[in-house]
Parts: sequence; structure tokens; C-alpha cells
Amino acid sequence: MTGTHHDCRDTVDAVVIGTGAGGAPLAARLAAAGLSVVALEAGRAFRPDEHVADELAADIYWMEERLSGGATPTAFGSNNSGMGVGGSMLHWGAFCPRPDPRDLQLKTLTGEGADWPVPHDDLIRYIEEVEGFTGVSGPAHYPWDATRRYAYPPVARNAAAEAMARGCAAIGMTATDAPAALVSRDREQPHFGQRQACVNCGTCHQGCRNAAKTSMDTTYLPYAVAHGAEIRPGCRVVDFDYDDRGRISAVVYATGEQQHRQRCNAVFLCAGGVETPRLLLNLGIANASGQVGRNFMAHVATQVWGRFDADMRMNRGYPSSLISEDMMRPGDAGCAGGYLIQSLGVLPVNLATGLARGAGMWGERLQTTLRGYNRMAGIGINGECLPHADNRLDLADETDAFGHRKARVRFSYHANEQAIDRHARRVMTDIWQAAGAQDVFAVDRSAHTIGTCRMGEDAESAVVDADGRSFEVPNLLICDNSIFPSALAANPALTIMALSLRTADRFLTSRP
Amino acid sequence: MIRPTLLMLHALGASGDEWRQVRERLPDYDCVALDLPGFGAAAGQGHADVVTMADQLADAIRASGAPACILVGHSMGGKMATLVAARAAAGEYGLSRLLGVVLVAASPPSPEPMDEARRAQMLGWCADGAIDRDAAETFVDANTAARLPDPLREAAIADVRRSAPEAWIAWLERGSREDWNADIGPIAMPALIVAGSDDGDLGEAAQRRLNQPLYEEAEVAVVADAAHLIPYEQPDALAALIDGFATGLAASVLPRAFADLLGSARVSRRTRAAMLARLRPPRPSDWSAAQHATIVALTGQILPDLADADDLARRVEASIGDGGGDGWRFDSLPPDRIAWVRGLATLDTVTGGFAALDRSVQADWLDRLAAGEVGCDDDGRHLSPAQMALWFEDVRAEVVRSWVALPATMAAIGYDGFAVGGDGPRKQGYVRTQADTVEAWQVQSEAVA
Repeated sequence: MTGTHHDCRDTVDAVVIGTGAGGAPLAARLAAAGLSVVALEAGRAFRPDEHVADELAADIYWMEERLSGGATPTAFGSNNSGMGVGGSMLHWGAFCPRPDPRDLQLKTLTGEGADWPVPHDDLIRYIEEVEGFTGVSGPAHYPWDATRRYAYPPVARNAAAEAMARGCAAIGMTATDAPAALVSRDREQPHFGQRQACVNCGTCHQGCRNAAKTSMDTTYLPYAVAHGAEIRPGCRVVDFDYDDRGRISAVVYATGEQQHRQRCNAVFLCAGGVETPRLLLNLGIANASGQVGRNFMAHVATQVWGRFDADMRMNRGYPSSLISEDMMRPGDAGCAGGYLIQSLGVLPVNLATGLARGAGMWGERLQTTLRGYNRMAGIGINGECLPHADNRLDLADETDAFGHRKARVRFSYHANEQAIDRHARRVMTDIWQAAGAQDVFAVDRSAHTIGTCRMGEDAESAVVDADGRSFEVPNLLICDNSIFPSALAANPALTIMALSLRTADRFLTSRP
Repeated sequence: MIRPTLLMLHALGASGDEWRQVRERLPDYDCVALDLPGFGAAAGQGHADVVTMADQLADAIRASGAPACILVGHSMGGKMATLVAARAAAGEYGLSRLLGVVLVAASPPSPEPMDEARRAQMLGWCADGAIDRDAAETFVDANTAARLPDPLREAAIADVRRSAPEAWIAWLERGSREDWNADIGPIAMPALIVAGSDDGDLGEAAQRRLNQPLYEEAEVAVVADAAHLIPYEQPDALAALIDGFATGLAASVLPRAFADLLGSARVSRRTRAAMLARLRPPRPSDWSAAQHATIVALTGQILPDLADADDLARRVEASIGDGGGDGWRFDSLPPDRIAWVRGLATLDTVTGGFAALDRSVQADWLDRLAAGEVGCDDDGRHLSPAQMALWFEDVRAEVVRSWVALPATMAAIGYDGFAVGGDGPRKQGYVRTQADTVEAWQVQSEAVA
């Protein structure tokens, strides 16, 4: 799957940097509209069945070193960005709640955070298109949105989901099967082929081996290629050339020792919430606002764990098969926004790391807990994180193999995140105790890389406009989680894909 | 302790009988000495080419009920041993029980160095049919440093004479000349390479040049007063070497049901290869004895109930040493390796030697470490209290990650999430996901007996 070959000396209509949720849908849309598109991907191409059902051997994560600081440093590596054709969609968890309309107007409604310059109706229209094109499994009746429908029935609940359903019911909370971006029945995906029904293998985060899970390499990218786009794996963007009007005239990228220049009319930078701002800061462009790297956000992702008097074997089944949106506005929490709750099944290394880092365990308790892996189960949240000026990405003095300075991210929970964390610990502990868990404890954790190139109304306070267009470099557009003005409690991937289609449509409309 | 089964492969013109003396000296081991097609009791089968013999060997591993095995390949048999080891290390179905390889004066997977006049002479011996006694005597005597005692010499001569001529010719004309090196990467499996001090074309120099580079970790041993027929010539020395090698791999033996599952069609080739690579003994690292002692002590505090804290500590050291990292580090710490060097130095400085302390005293220090109360001035050689707290978090994570990822740990906790999809057109996954439902194929937790 590499597609039509374009010569580097030909000026293509668009170069897309990154093939994840931000780059792939727009590459497909632009190619379908007849534009010549080259998508550059730093990682290699995988067949789905090449993925490895092993936490340490899975080779789909962005493992180049990042520096993490602040009062609550966030983990990178397998926790966040991906590397490979498909980007982090290769390893994402496929948990795909829709963004809450209130979250897009947080500033208006609460005075905190930021509003989105994109209307919710507009975003939802694109989200429905993404859900339709990729295939989502979910409940027949969604308790928090009566109009919502999913194409496929939900996947099997696992033991952790059953426990969460039991616990929620006992304390009067609503929970249901989670919307999951995977197919619970075989599906023929246009231009890819058969995506097989989920077999409950539990290794979504190591890469889906039968293409049940939505990933870009099994959905939008084959569509893009079928419409003439070219995907070039193993290409690391290191620089841009400019014309005398300040427009990017070529994208400079490295393949091993060699450098290449792809001439182009427009660039879509879709490298994610860390690599996108890092490239801009390293090249010193698109930052007249001084906003590049600022307002880094990571979801509050606190977990609560416990031991059950049953053989749970939580690695079985779709890992997050139950959801509750009851806490999207926890009235008594003292925070703006709220959080989603999901059941958790994790594999042993993930649990071990959480215990050692996020719960500060060692010694007999650590080892006994891990030996009891088959009886453990957890629940976790995805909680709103507000943009804060001091939570930011900048550049370390150390450089990478390409001579670019490494990313340094400083991230600290502020009062809002602390309030969400506090509230969620209490609620989840109640749920878990009601479900029959013993030795209940919490694990500190944050997840996702959001913000750093925020979109907004004006060039003073934002990096890109509502259509993803740089205020400074006329033919540079950005589309990934870096442009989010606020975090939204919903996991970002669905919103990124929707924004990607929207960015492409707005770009196509604006063309002369 | 479970001892691995020894699967023994003979040389050209020999048979499984060549291993009799060695086997008598390894009474605690199950030994299976095969007769390759065209030789010994299998002389009537005519010849089989190299790939067919390797396939038969792979099938023999699959068919053996042994939880673990080691291939011992002599001369011609060594070529097949290396080919099968490469396939096993790459994750081939059913070969996960293979723990290591002993090569004895082994023919390499590349063309065997052989004087063309000698090749022509040997081919001439069976130009008219079976090899006669004079030729067989010449062959045996030429391949021994000193004349063998008569009973052994007669047995060796008889084996040469009953070899199928087509098998003899096929090896000399084709098998020994075939080049398989392009199919073989560095083989991630321990190997012991044995050479005879008086051997010619397949002596120590050839072994170091042609066989050792194919393995990631291979030790070369030279047996004195032996030429090419080492199993006949020096069975004491060879048996002792095999025993030492096998004993060193005892920690790699997995519980039987777990080993069967790992080898099964429910596991993909790439997944199996990754887990097998982790089954191998830890790679050597360059930490000092004092640093190692402190890491062992820390490992034993973080995971108090370990069968072998030293082994796990070495795995942690290798992981830190190779600089691969986990994709990030704390902003306030130097790069991982430097942070570990300084963290260990700081720990020893403030405690006056951490490793030598009582376990309960060590535990108290770690409590204070985690609370950010213990450290030195950040003078470029030590870490501050705030840095020490972060470093100790890294240490915990690295130690526990290394432990949980070991196949033996997975077996002990009853984890089977690696066996959820092989390389077939449909992945198996789990049919049952609810509590207290276990499918028949799943393993219960089991430790090595």
C-alpha cells in the first residue's frame, strides 16, 4: 500500500506529514477530490498480522526519548504517540465516546478553559461520517444521547466490565457497553478488504492483528491510495524550503542517510501533539504568537484497582468494554468539565508499571499484587484538563539523531485537575467496593498529548485558525490533537479524524 | 531441576552409536541419538538433502514430549543443528522447547572448507558401490588424533561401511557445499562450539570464523588430544562440556504446559520469537561488582520473592546498558545509564554500602528514598534527594517490567494473553471473557517443578 508514485521534482498539491488520525482522513479526502497527495510517515508499514501480542516487543510506539517534567510528569513511550503507517491509531484503545457539546463551550459555560471555534453540530456531522466509514460497535440505546446509533452490536463484556456494571448499579450510576471503534462482525472495508470481527484477544494496544479495530492503515489510507495518494514510509521530515513569499515550496525529509525534497503547494502537518510543535520550534516557524508548545494538556487518567474473589483474567476481551458518562458534570466536584469512566483490562507489564510508578509500590505488596494478576481488575477515567500557560512543551539542549532538539514537556495538575482526580478516586472506589473488590487502591496516571498548537480566532492567541491554517505560513495547515483549544473529556481520536475531514473540506472550498 | 533432553546428530559416515560413550557419561540426561537418512539403522532410507534432514530434526523436536531440549550436532549434523536453531529462534511453530545448541567439530551452514583432492578421494571410495574396509579405515584414522582403541575403531569403521553411497555422495557433492547463510540472522540462542585441538579444516580457527559469528552468544571450547571424531576420542571432556552448558540453561526451562502453549499454533511467529529471546540467559554487561551487588540488593527489595535475584538484576543491567529506554525520562535526571551510575553511587554513599545492610535496614532506606529525604549534592557524580526519588521510581519500574515480561513469570501467574492468535487466516482470541470461565486450552498458573 504505497500508491501512485510522484517524483520529488513534481510539485504536488499537498504533502501530509504523519499518517495517523490527523493526516490519514484528510489525505483520503484530498486525493478523492483529485489532488496529488504525498503522505510522509516516519515509521514503517505493517500488515495487521505482523503485530506482536507482547508488551515489550510491540514495535508501533514512538520510542525516541522525550523529557518529562513538572509536578505531575506524564509518561510517553507506549503511553502516547505511535510510529508506523497509521500513527498512534496502530496502538490506540479504540474507546470512542463522542465529545460532549458542553466541553466545546467550556469558557462560555464555566468561565474556565477555552471555547472551540468549531461548532459542535459541525463537528458531530463529521464524527458521524467517520463512524459510518470506519464502523463502530456500541449499544443499541445510548443512555446519554437518545438519538445515537451504532452500526454494530457491542463486543463481549469482559470480567472488569461486568464488575463495573455491578458496582455502578449498586450505587445508582448508569453504565453501558462502550462505543468501540472496532467491528464486532466481519466487514468489507472499501479498498482494504476484509476486516474480521473482533475475537476478544485483548491486545488492541499492541496492534490489532485481524483489522477489527479501526486503524488508518486499514481504512482511510487504503482509500487515499486507491484515489491516487502516495504513502512514503520511513521518511523523517527535517526541514522546509520556502519561496520568496514565505510559502513552503518543498518539504525536506530524510530516509536513512539520504535527504530528499518534495516540492508542494501546501503542507498538512499532522505529527501529533508533541512532534508537530517540536518540528515548528526546531525550525523556528509559525510561532509569531509565541503559542507553539503552550497549553500542553493530558487527560487526568486516574485508575482504581482491586482484587476480586474470582478468576477475572482481565487481559481477555476488549479492554474498555463499559462506559459511564454520569460524571461528565459532577456537580459537587469543584471543577470545570468532568470525566468519563471506563472499565479496564490491562496486560501484565502495563499493570506492573502502574503499580511501581503510579501507586508507588514495591516489596511484598507489589509482588503479591502482580502474582494475583488473574484476580485483578480496574476502572479508570478520562478527565478534562484545562489549558494552563505553564504547562508547555519546549526544546531540551540534547539533540536527536537528526540534529533536532528533543522535546521537553512540563506538566502539572492545577486545581481543576486535582479536583477531578480527587472526585474520581472517591467515585471509583465506591464503585469498586460495591462490586466486591478488595484491597482497593488508586494509580496516578495521565494520558494523551493535547494542545501545543491551539486553534483560535486570532493570530495573537492561536497558532492556527478554525480551519487549521497557520496564521503565519500561508500554505501550512495543522491537523492533530495539537490544535485542540481544550482537552475535551472524550478520548481525542474520533475528534481528530472528524477535524481532519473538516480541514480537508475547508481547504478544498478555499482553493482558487 | 528439569534437565533438557539432548538430541544428538552424528557426523558423515557415522550413526547414533557414535554418542554411546558420551551418553554413558551423562546418565542424568535423556538422550535421543538420531540416525540420519542413509546412515546407521536408517541406511536403507537412501539420502535426504540438508533441508529434508533439518525438517526431520524439527519434527523430532515437535514429537518429543520433552519440556526442553538441546541439539548436539557433530560435523555434518552440526549444519542441521544450526539451521534448526535459526528457525526456532525466529519463532517457528513447535520449536520453542529448543534452549540451546552444542556444535561439535561442526560443519557450518555455509560451504564446508574441504580440500578438493580429499573430497575427490572420498567420492572415489564409493564409485563402485559400498565403501570398502581399507577406505573406511583410512577415513577413521585420518579423523582421529591417535588411533582409537580397537572396539571403538571397529564400530566407527562399520558405520562408515554401512553408509548408503548415495547419502555419502550427496553430502560431499551437495550438502556440504550448500550455502544457507543468507537465511540466517544472528541466532538468539546460546551455543557451545567445541573444536578438537588436532582437527584440520573444521578446527578452532574454522569454528571461530564460520560458526561463532552466526550466534549472538557462543562460547568456543577446544578439546585437547582430539581431531574430528571427538565423541569417540574424548567422551569425558565432551560430556563435561555438554553437562556444564545444559546446567547453565536450567533457568530457561519452562513448565511443560506453558512451553506447549508457547510452541502452539495459537502463538504468532513474531510473538514467539520475542518471548524466546527473553528466555535466554541475560547478556553480559559491564557494571562493576559493587554496582551489581547494589542492583541485586535493590532488585531483592522491590521483588522479595525471587528464585534468582542475580539473574533478574543482570537483565536490568543489560536493559539499562543498551540505552534503548522506554521513550521518555524525567527532565531532571540525566540519561538513564548516567542516572543509574549516580543513583547507585549516591545510595552507597549515604548508606555506607547498601548491599551489605540488613534487609530491614535497606527497606527503611528505600522508604526515605521514595519520600525524597535521601540524597547528596548534585555534584555531577551524585543525585539530589528529589532526583533520587524519581530515580527510585525508574528503578522500580525497570525491575518489575523486566520480571513480569519473563516467560517464567507469565507461567507462574497463569497469563496466556500471548496465545491469542497465530499466523493462520483467522485469529483465535478468546471465546469466553467473563469471570470464572476458562477455556480448555488455557494454562493454570504453574511454576517449574
